[in-house]
Order: sequence, then structure tokens, then C-alpha cells
Amino acid sequence: MKKISFLLLLFISFTSCKKYLDVNISPNNPPAVPATTILPTTTIGLAFANSNDLDRATSALVQHIAGVANQTAAYDIYNLDGAFDNQWNGEIYGVDLSDLQILIDQYSATSPAYSGIAKLEMAYLFSIATDLWGEVPYSQAAQGTKSLFPRFDKQEDIYQGNASLGITSLFDLVKSGLADLVKTSALKPGNDDIVYKGDLTKWARMGNTLLLKFAIQISNKNPSLATSTIASVIAGNNYINSNALDFEVPFGATVGNQNALYTFNNINRTGDQMLSTRLLNLAKSLNDTVRLAKFFTKPSGAFVSFDNGSTATAPAVATRSKYNAYLTGATGEAPIRILTNFQVQFILAEAALTLGTPGNANTYYQAGITASMQKVGMTAAEIASYFATNPSVVTLSGTIEEQRKQIITQKYIAWIGNGIEAFDDYRRTGYPVLALVNNAAGDNPNVIPTRLPYTPAELAANPNAPSPRPKTDVKLWFAK
Amino acid sequence: MRKLLFLLMAAMLAIGQLHAQQRTITGKVTDEKGAPIINASVIVKGTNTGTVTKNDGTYSITVPANAKTLVISSVTMEEAQIDIGSQTVINVSLQTIGKNLQEVVVTALGIARDKRSLGYASQNLKGEELANKGEVNLVNALQGKVAGVNITNASGGAGASVNINIRGITSFTGSNQPLFVIDGIPISNDVDRTNSGPNGTLGDNQPANRALDIDMNNVESVNILKGPAAAALYGSRASAGAIIITTKKGGSARGKAEVVLNSNFSIQSAFGLPKVQNMYGEGTSGVFNSTSNNSFGPKFGSTPSLANGLLLGLSANINNVNYTAGQTFPYEAFPDNINDFFRHGTTAENEITITSGDAVRNQILSIGNVTQKGILYNTFLKRTTLRFGANTAVGAKMKIGGSITYTNTAQRGTIGGNNSGLASLLGLARNIDLTSYRVNGTYKNANGTNNYPFSGVDNPYFDQFENPLNSYLNRFTGNINVGYDLLNWLNISYRAGGDIYTDRRKQVFAISSNRVPAGNVRDEMFFRNEINGDLIIRATRNNLFTHGLSLTALIGQNINQRRFQDIAVQGDQLSVPGFYNVGNGAVFSVGSGEASTLRRLLGYYGQASFNFRNYVFVELTGRADKSSTLPKNKNTYFYPSANVAFVFTDALKINSDIFSYGKIRASYAKVGRDADPYLLNNVYVNGAFGNNVASFTFPFGAIGGFGASSRLSDTIPLSPEFTTSYEAGINLQFFSNRASIDVTYYSEDSKSQILNVAVAPSSGFRTYTTNIGELTNKGVEVNVSATVIRTRDFTWDLNGNYTRQRNKVVSIAPGVDNSPIPGNAFIGSIPSFKVGYHYGVIIGGVIPRSPDGQRLINPATGTYQPTVAGQVLADPNADYQFGVTNTLNYKGFNLGCTFDFTKGGQVLSFTAATYKSRGALDITAVDREQPHILPGVILDPASGKYSANNIQISGQAYWQALGGLQSEFNVYDATVLHLRELTLGYTVPNKITNRLKLAGIRFGLFARNVFYVAPNAPIDPQLNTQGAGNIRGLDLQGTPNARTIGANIKLTI
Repeated sequence: MKKISFLLLLFISFTSCKKYLDVNISPNNPPAVPATTILPTTTIGLAFANSNDLDRATSALVQHIAGVANQTAAYDIYNLDGAFDNQWNGEIYGVDLSDLQILIDQYSATSPAYSGIAKLEMAYLFSIATDLWGEVPYSQAAQGTKSLFPRFDKQEDIYQGNASLGITSLFDLVKSGLADLVKTSALKPGNDDIVYKGDLTKWARMGNTLLLKFAIQISNKNPSLATSTIASVIAGNNYINSNALDFEVPFGATVGNQNALYTFNNINRTGDQMLSTRLLNLAKSLNDTVRLAKFFTKPSGAFVSFDNGSTATAPAVATRSKYNAYLTGATGEAPIRILTNFQVQFILAEAALTLGTPGNANTYYQAGITASMQKVGMTAAEIASYFATNPSVVTLSGTIEEQRKQIITQKYIAWIGNGIEAFDDYRRTGYPVLALVNNAAGDNPNVIPTRLPYTPAELAANPNAPSPRPKTDVKLWFAK
Repeated sequence: MRKLLFLLMAAMLAIGQLHAQQRTITGKVTDEKGAPIINASVIVKGTNTGTVTKNDGTYSITVPANAKTLVISSVTMEEAQIDIGSQTVINVSLQTIGKNLQEVVVTALGIARDKRSLGYASQNLKGEELANKGEVNLVNALQGKVAGVNITNASGGAGASVNINIRGITSFTGSNQPLFVIDGIPISNDVDRTNSGPNGTLGDNQPANRALDIDMNNVESVNILKGPAAAALYGSRASAGAIIITTKKGGSARGKAEVVLNSNFSIQSAFGLPKVQNMYGEGTSGVFNSTSNNSFGPKFGSTPSLANGLLLGLSANINNVNYTAGQTFPYEAFPDNINDFFRHGTTAENEITITSGDAVRNQILSIGNVTQKGILYNTFLKRTTLRFGANTAVGAKMKIGGSITYTNTAQRGTIGGNNSGLASLLGLARNIDLTSYRVNGTYKNANGTNNYPFSGVDNPYFDQFENPLNSYLNRFTGNINVGYDLLNWLNISYRAGGDIYTDRRKQVFAISSNRVPAGNVRDEMFFRNEINGDLIIRATRNNLFTHGLSLTALIGQNINQRRFQDIAVQGDQLSVPGFYNVGNGAVFSVGSGEASTLRRLLGYYGQASFNFRNYVFVELTGRADKSSTLPKNKNTYFYPSANVAFVFTDALKINSDIFSYGKIRASYAKVGRDADPYLLNNVYVNGAFGNNVASFTFPFGAIGGFGASSRLSDTIPLSPEFTTSYEAGINLQFFSNRASIDVTYYSEDSKSQILNVAVAPSSGFRTYTTNIGELTNKGVEVNVSATVIRTRDFTWDLNGNYTRQRNKVVSIAPGVDNSPIPGNAFIGSIPSFKVGYHYGVIIGGVIPRSPDGQRLINPATGTYQPTVAGQVLADPNADYQFGVTNTLNYKGFNLGCTFDFTKGGQVLSFTAATYKSRGALDITAVDREQPHILPGVILDPASGKYSANNIQISGQAYWQALGGLQSEFNVYDATVLHLRELTLGYTVPNKITNRLKLAGIRFGLFARNVFYVAPNAPIDPQLNTQGAGNIRGLDLQGTPNARTIGANIKLTI
């Protein structure tokens, strides 16, 4: 019997070690991280979102490039259904907007320098989302457990706000960010601000430039808001007005740090996309092949292009014209350009022309062309020569609509490599005039898509998503 | 080392010598019909001296001079006691025990039980039913032999992993692999995945599930506990069933030292490759193109012209020979160019087992080695196991035993999958002679870079030889147990054991590899350690309260700890070609890091088993677990089970030779399951973007980046999840138990699962850990066995099993229709669970259809309209399966064959798609040059009417329209019949072995995967590239299955 009670004691003694079970704290992932590690993630993230699959799809849709194989070939002929889960989930809403929301939640009170930057980056990302998809989660998005199934807000509400629905406009979001930047901040970014190295005055320029971009985007639908916004930014004279101030996100030359244009085109999918014959023809018609050669390679000495949607056998990979070092860097280190001086000049040209904002449209127009040519690395002599030999190209003339066409066509060339911006302008203005691709398919083979289809994961998991999804030929609010 | 082994052997033989005696008695043991009884025990009464009969029923025993009586017994026979007197030859005929059939099976916690007392289904296999049949992975060897179990291997590569699910899937995202238990100690059957390439685990050929480390020659028996009822005492871990492995003990030879030598040699070859055409060669649209891997070029025998490209317009390299413009070149089919890529693999397996001792005090030492060369060049599997086990008694009341096994497993495999060299081999252009690249080593250029005419892909040999994944595993498993009889009805025992391994991996991508052009080296170490202890107090009382009622009661306590660590350092961007030290890299931030987990569990359990007159059995169990992975205030959970068995033939005294045994049984069980570690808090992860086509990983130079994990923790604390199961069964036996049928029906319901459920990605997160969702499983299992013929020299035994299993996703979460299964997947074919469907359906794009179900054609192209995403593309769940094993014995000869058949289920085959879209599949050559029309209809948008498609397209356009990797046209019905196993054995008669002074010689021939018939698939559809795990039904351009043919010899000394 003694033995039994001894064993029972042993039995009980095992049960009383509470600490034994207290081992459920992850050694693998930190429960909290400083702002200095979040800001680089969100900044790279927005550049990655801009330059990865959304860029490939939009670059094919605007016929900068032609898809030859795999996904890009499908996008090229408007087969977009089922794509962009990774972009929506992991480049815009997940990782990026969620982390920006964390910066805003945690630092608005003590270190508004971080929340200010976060609001500007957030406004840019939301604008990408609504410009591509239209009605998207916005006012309830990226807030985790607060809203597991966010509402889809209308594009007009996202841009203009809607007090009754509690929707702050993108313009007000930017203004709130600009206000944060000038508040006293306990922590200020330094090298963790990989774009401006902690110079908040440059972030203010970035914010004001965002206002210009948003204003021109809605100028078809709300010209008065567009006009007043642009006029006020011009008056403030604190926007990106030189190439040195461009909001461009740096990348690295080593594995893991290279930009997506490089890793896709030069490493992982070398045979998927190449120069579009249609862009080549446009550049040739404008005698603009010197600039084109900064964007696209000529491995065999001449441009080798491919017609969008063609089923012909594509030229051998080694001979194809693909993105050049301006976009990819020698080994992936080229920055991803998000907001630029040339963009601003073209916006101001168009606004002066169509909205009557201050300044001379032709001056802005020529400044835009010059800024673009300088940006891609043309020499002063090459630029001067182009201006000298192509006066009709570099001078606005004709009706307002014809002049607008000139502006947007130049902007379209300047934005090669950033298909999202070119796609926005195309849908807003109809320029440049693009023909349907060969063998068009997709939701409507007779219309160049005017929006992206909602992504399968969002459709499957969010009961608030519009169902059935709108077809890709249904125009967005801002579009012409 | 060799000396030590010799000494050990000598010592063990010496132990045997202590029992050396003075008189030898020989004889034969037969049944009432004169058929020999194998393995009957012959013991000198009152001693531990004994032997067992051989395959012909004969025995030979040396007895002490003072021996009086021999006790002869066999499991199914009445025991006989024979006076020895002065006899030297004693032949015995035993009587069958008609109604007292006793089949001992090992149940949960290693408790041996009479099968008749069990109120739930379990199936028992003997070690010899598995070993020496051409399979080195124990899980594969179970294929076709067990009802209710699904087994699919990843490929025929050396040491490829194998998936096993018992009674389907019960957990949405948790492990659904059964618990593996060896001698009472749980061991790891995990798959540790390495892939430094951009494809993650889609890169094929992962090292094995760790049951591979089990040497089947050490296995005495395997008992499969199928449902929660059987496994209730194991608790959470066994909610997906349990595989209870009992290893061999030294005492079977009844006091005699015995040495068993066992050798196998077998040859493997690639199996299940599609049939190819040999009419058309490389090119597109009928024109030769030396850089195209499509076989849509000109017909072989065409007159060379510039138009068909056979008169070269540009210089080209064809089959490793340079030609200039204006030249022609040999243009002919290499019909075996795909087959010849594979070599004959070989497997040599050698074991030596030395045993000595008696039933109480015994030792066993075994050493085994398997050396396998894979069917792919430069792949291998080498496994060495060393095992020592011993049991002894201290005094009359205490028993002590233990064993320790050391395993060393080395494996080498290479990458496959999308864009790999292996994928380019599939449907290789028909005029490519790949062998030339291997024989001369010209798969690489002089500077070591990849040499292949096709871009965007490696030469398959380059991948094989230059991009290996190596695994070197060292593993110890062991247990020690002590039992003490406190009173004659009360026993207390403690069993402790552990499983510990480290697996050192090295994966290499050479510079210029398509997947990692800058090259990389990844050194990775996996460490797993599980420690388990059980304290068990057992009491048995007979004639409790009333005559004939006995009770066995048990209480126990379990302590379990599992530790896992995965540390990797990866060097990217190599400087020196061919130098694979991680220091040769320039970037170390991609893929380097650590993942560790630690989880602990305390369990308390009890069991009461009532037995009334050996025909009514009632059992109640209960277990309470405390887990470290649940919130502290909710970490204790209790779950009960009850089962009853009723042998009605005994109760009703049905005494018939025709209907000899009948039992019905029923059970109820509830099993709780805890969470995975670290799900209770939100965390941040290292910042990374992108996938296999473009990606970014922090740190960015010296700047670190972190972001919130895509998984959110619940704001409501997690609680354990439960599976409730009901099971009923009947077992009937006929003709003095020569024929038996056993039918089981079960129904399981798993609710409130701990699930990382998908939330709207626009919430900023992907998943949310919560208790939600419901899965049900229902099924029928049938086992049939019969001795069809039994004569003096000839027996024919038949065993069959049938499984029908239905799984249904009842609900996930409000508003959530489907959710992806965690793991890597290609967008467009995502293994998922979807409400109202079976678990594991593959969701992708499906071509839109007209109201009457015809596929819509694009009038502009004559090919199909683009797919609509988010549809169910394939369902991998089979309708039913059955397996049949025939065993024929004639004198010393033994012939066995196992068929298994799977009806239904689907596989999405990237492999078949590739053969099709490249124009290599045999059917793509039929009427190639005739116009083709895809079946379907065209919608006239004006009238809204549909008309039959009449648009003619080329053969190439036709086959490419049907050849999309993720297309519904490459979803195949996985119905397949396999002749899984064929064995022929011969046991040399005693007359001869005695002359050779041996105790037994057995020769065997075996073949595995002999043939298959898959009526609706161009490949062997029974493979699953991702191996063990919840993702099934994908063939992602991996290694094909392998056929094995070999021979075996077993010597007993």
C-alpha cells in the first residue's frame, strides 16, 4: 500500500508544473517592431505593387509591350479573369496598406512624421486600387479584426469623400498627411526613409504632387475640384518640379533586392514579353527612336518587336527588344518611378489647356518632354537636336483636343515601364488612340479593357464584393 | 567498430550456448486434416526451452535429459501436451479451436488485446506482409492492403514522400497524417521541405516522409487504428488515426540463438510514361525550329526545303552539332528519347538479425542497409539502421525492456516541376537526342553553364547533375519500459522514449540555372525531438460481482514534448562556379533564418474494460489533455469514448461449422485536438514581396524591413477542436473460420475547427485564426478473407478490402465559400476546401458553357472562350477503392499478388498537358495535317442563339487549346487498377537445410507496380507531386512512378 501512495504522489507531482506548459511565445517572429523597420517595407511595397504584375498587365493593355508567353500573353489579349490575387492580397491591401495603417494607428499621436508619410503612401496605393478596379474597399479596408469583410466604396466617394458614409476623400487623406509632416515628431525617419532619407520637405512635395495626380484623374467628372486643387498647388509652389525631386523608390543590384522589371524580364521570365510593334511604330512616326532605345534594347542592332496578340512565332529570345537599363538597371538596381517631374509638367500642361489653370500649356509641355528625355539619359545635344528637327512634335498646335492628344502621347512615351499611369491616362482621355489587339478575347473582345476584374480570393472571401463581378468593358467613374 | 560488432555477436551467441542441451527430438505438427502448422510453439513444460515449427510444420528441439513433457500450441489450435518418454520423433495433430479464436492485436498505448474484445475496427498486418517486396518506405508497402486508408506517393524518385490518410480528412488545415507509434513511443513522420529556388515546394522531389527511416525487417506487426474510437487513448495526436508498429523481439526462437541474414536486390524503371508520337518533329506550324521544344514541325521524311525549315535558313545547333545556313541535317525520330533519360535504378538491401533468449529474457541486434540508385541519374537513397533491443526480468515481479535504433539516411534528389529540366523532358521534341548531352557531359558548356537549345529551361541533365538536393539524416529512436506487479492483479509500468533526428541538407543551384541564374547554396538543418512518457497503472479482476464478469481498469498519465528547429543559411549570387560552400555567396539574406517550435502536452487518461463470459465486452475511456498551444484558461479539455462488442455466436450458443463466429460492435468517441504552436498572438514577419516570377526580400542592403504577418489572431480565445465519431461493425466467420467478412460503417463530424480561415484580403490580412467550420466523413470499410483451398500441400488464401469514404465540407465561416489549403500552389489551380464539396478540390478557371452544357467557342479564333476563374476544376477524392491479395502455398512455394483498384477521383496533370501542348502525345499525330474543329458552340450575340462550332483550326492550335497546364482538359479521371505486388517465394525443405546446418533458407522473387490500367488517363494517375500533406491531386511535372523487379534471399542460422 505504501508503494501505491508513493506512486500516486509521483503521479500528482507531474501535474503541478504549470510553467511546463508556458512555452507558447513564438521565437520566430517578433510581436512588435519599430517604425524604422515598417517604413522601408511599405515604401518598397508600393513600388513593387507598381512594377510587378499590375504593370505587366497594364503595359500590355496600353501596348507598350506585347505578351509573348504565359500570363503576359494572356493579359495582352484581355484574358484577365482569375489574375491579380497576389497583387490585391500581397502588394496593395496585405503587407502594404495593413502596415501603413499600423504606422498611422501607432504613431499619429507621438511621431506624426511617420503617420504623415504613411498617409501619403496610403493615398497613392488606394488610388492605384480604385483607378484599376473602380469600386474598392477603402474606408473600411486594411483594418484587420475591425473589419474582416470591408465594404466596397464607390470611386466617386473615394476621390470626393462622402460624409454620410464616413468616407474621407483621397484629397483629404493627403492633406491630413501633409499636416502631420509639419507637426512636432518624437521620432523622425532617417535612412529608413529609403526615398528621401528623412527629408520631410521633400515628402511635402510628394504629397502636393499626389494632389495634382488625383486632380487630373478626376478632371472629367469634377473639373471645379480639379481646377481649385491644381491652382492651389501651383500657388503653394511646393511640388515635384525637378527631376532631382522625383519620388522614385530605389532598388539594389543583388539577388533579393532587384526591381521587379529586372527579375521578371531578365531572370525568371526572359521569354514572356517584349517591345510592342505598335509602340515601335508610334516612336518611329515621331522620330523618337533615340529615346525608345533608352527604354528598349536592340540586341541585334535594330529594334525587334512583336505585334500585340499575334499568334506568329516570336523572334528568338536573344534577339528581342526588351526593357533596357533605364528601367531594369544593369542588374536590377534601377529605381521604380512613382511620381515624377515630367508627369507634373504634363499634368500642368493639360490643366492649363483644359482647365485654365495658371501657366502656359506649351511651356509645360516642352518642359515635360525635356524632363523625360533628361530622365532616360539622353544628352543635351540629343535633346536639342530632337527639338530642332521635330518642331511640330514638340509644339502644341491645333484644337484643344488635338493639343491634349499631343500632351498625353508624350506622357504615354515618358511613362514606358509604368503601365498603370499610361493606362489611367488612356482611359481618361482616349489617347493615344489604340487599336484592338489581334485575336482579342476576354470579357469583351471588342473593347480594350477599362478596368481589371476583381480577384478570385476577394470574391471568394468577401460577401461585400460585387457579385457577379462587373465585366472589364464597364467604364470606371473617372473615365472618358 | 567491426571488432565491437564481432564481440557483441559472440556474446549473444554465447548466451544461446548456456542453454545447450543433450537430447534432440524432431517431429511434425499438423492440423486435423494433416496440413502443416507453421510457427506452432513446441516448449518443454516448465522451462523456457522451446522452438517453433517451420513452414513445413516440422520442428527440431534439443531437450534436457530430465525433460518430461512437450507443450505444443498454436494460435488457432487447441494446446496439446505430450509425454516425451524415450521418444525422439514426436508427430502431433492439433485440433482447431472453433469458437475461441484468439487474435492478439496491439492497441493504443501498446496494450495487447484479443481482437474479439474490440468494439471498433482495426486491421493488423504482419511484418512479413510488408518486408522484402520491393518497397523501402513502410507507408508505400501498406498500399492496397488496408481498408479505409488512402496512400499516394509523390513519385518514383529515390525516397520520394508518401501521403497517407486514414478515413479521409478531418482537419481543414492541421495535419491529417496518422500518428506513427513504435513500441509505444510516437515518432515523427513529418516531411521537412527544402527549396531555395523560387518555386518553393512546387519544385518537386522533396526528401521523404520520415517513416522511410523504419526498417521493415525489424517490424513484427503493424496495427492500423482507424478511427477516434481506436485511438482515443492517444488523444489529440491520433485523431487522424494511428499506425502502431511493434518491433521484433528476441524471444521468438524459444531459447535458441538465431541469426537471420536477409538480402534483396531489385531494379527500378520509370513507369507510367505517356505514349508518344514519332511522326512529326521539332517546330511549329509545320516548320522546323531548332529552339522550339514543340513537335509541331514537319513530318519525318519530308523533303528539306527552306519553307519547312529542314534546309536551314540560319545556322543552328541540333543535337549538339553545329550546322550553317544552307545545310541539311539528320531529321529523324528518337522514339525512346524520353525513356532513355531515365536509368535503371537499383536497390540492394541487406540485413542481419541476431536474436537470442526466451520469452522473458531476450536480446535482438539487427543491422540493415538499403542502397538505392534512383531512376534519375545522380539520385540515391542510402539507409543504414542499427537496432538493439533487450528484455529481462528482475525477480518474479519486475520486467524491464528497451530498445534503441540508430538510423542514418542519405538522400539525393533534384528539382522538377514547372520550368525545370524535368518539365522540358516531358513531351520532348521527338527528334531530340538527349543522350548525347549526357554521354559527353555536354549538358554544360566549357565554362560550366547550361547548354540546351531551348530557352527559359535547363537541360534536364544539367538539373540532374548540377542542381542536387542532398539530405543526411541521423536519427535515434528508443524506449525503455519498466513494469512491476504490485499485486497479482495490479501492475504499474512506466514507459519513456524519444525520437531525435537532425537532417542536414544542402541544396545547390549552379550558376546559369534557369531558376536561379546567379546560383546559390543552401545549408539547412532540420532538428526534431520528441520525448514521451507514460505512467500506466493496470488492474485486472476476474469474477467481479458475478461469475464470468472481469474488469481491466487502467489509469495513466502522459507527458509529451515536441521540439522542432529549422535553421538555414543561404548564399546567393555565387562567385566561383562549382564551389558550393555557402561562403561563396554574395547575398545571405534571402531564405536564411530560423523556424523553431516547442509544444508540450500533459494527458491523464483512464480506461475500464468489462468482459462478460468472453462474449460481451464493454469499454469506457476518458482522457483529459492540457496543452501548451491553447490559451491558459482553456487549455484543459476532456473527451470520452465508449465501445461495445458482442460475440453473438457464443452468447446464443450457435454451434455450427458453417457459421462459426459472429460479432457485432459499436462505438462512440470524441477526440479533442489542440492548436499548432504560436497561434495566439499577432506577429510581424520579415518583409518580402512577390513569387517565382519576381520577388523582393528584406533586408534591403543594410536596411531591415518587417511587416504584419498575414495571419490575424482571434480576439476571442481559441478552444480545442473536437471530432465526434460513431462506428458500427459486424464480423462474421464461416466454415470453421476459414472465411471471414468484416464490415464497418463510420460517421465522423469535426466541428469548431481551429482554422486559419480566409478573410477578405482587403482587410489587409489573409487569414484569421479562430474556431470555426465543420467537416464530416462517412464511410464503409469491408475486409474479406478466406482460405479458398486448403489441402495437405496446397493452400490458397484470399484477402480483400474495400473502402468507400465520403467527405464533405459542411461550413467554413460566415460569408466564406472556399479557402485555400496552406502550402504552395500555382494561381489558377489552388487546392482548396469549398462548402458543399469534398475536401481538397482544386479551384481554377473553367471554360464558360452554354445553357445545355456545351463549351463556348470564341468566334474570332475558333478556340475556347477564356476561362472563368474560381470554379472547381478537379476533385481528388476517389469514389471507392479496393485491394485484393492472393497468397498461394504449394509445399515450399509461395506465390502472392496484390491488386488495388481506385475508382474515380481526379488528378490535374501538368505532365499530360505538357505532352499534349507540345504535340508529343501519340494522339496529337492523328490526322495532324487535317483541319480540326474543337467541340463546342458559338454564341451569336445578336440573336442570343448558339450554333455548333464550325471553325477549322490547325492541329497545332487544336492541341494547344486542349493543352493548357491548368486546363479542365488536363483533369483526368484517376480510375486505375494496379498490379501492385507480385511475389514468389520458395522455402528450402528442412532435409536440405539440416544438411547445410542451417535453420532455414528462403528465396523470393518480387515485382512492384507490375502494370496499371488507367482507362481515362494517359499517365499513371496515382501520384501526387507534393507528397505527404493535405494537398492532393496535382501532378506537377515531376518524376514518374517506378516499377521494381527483384529477388530476395533469407537465411536463418
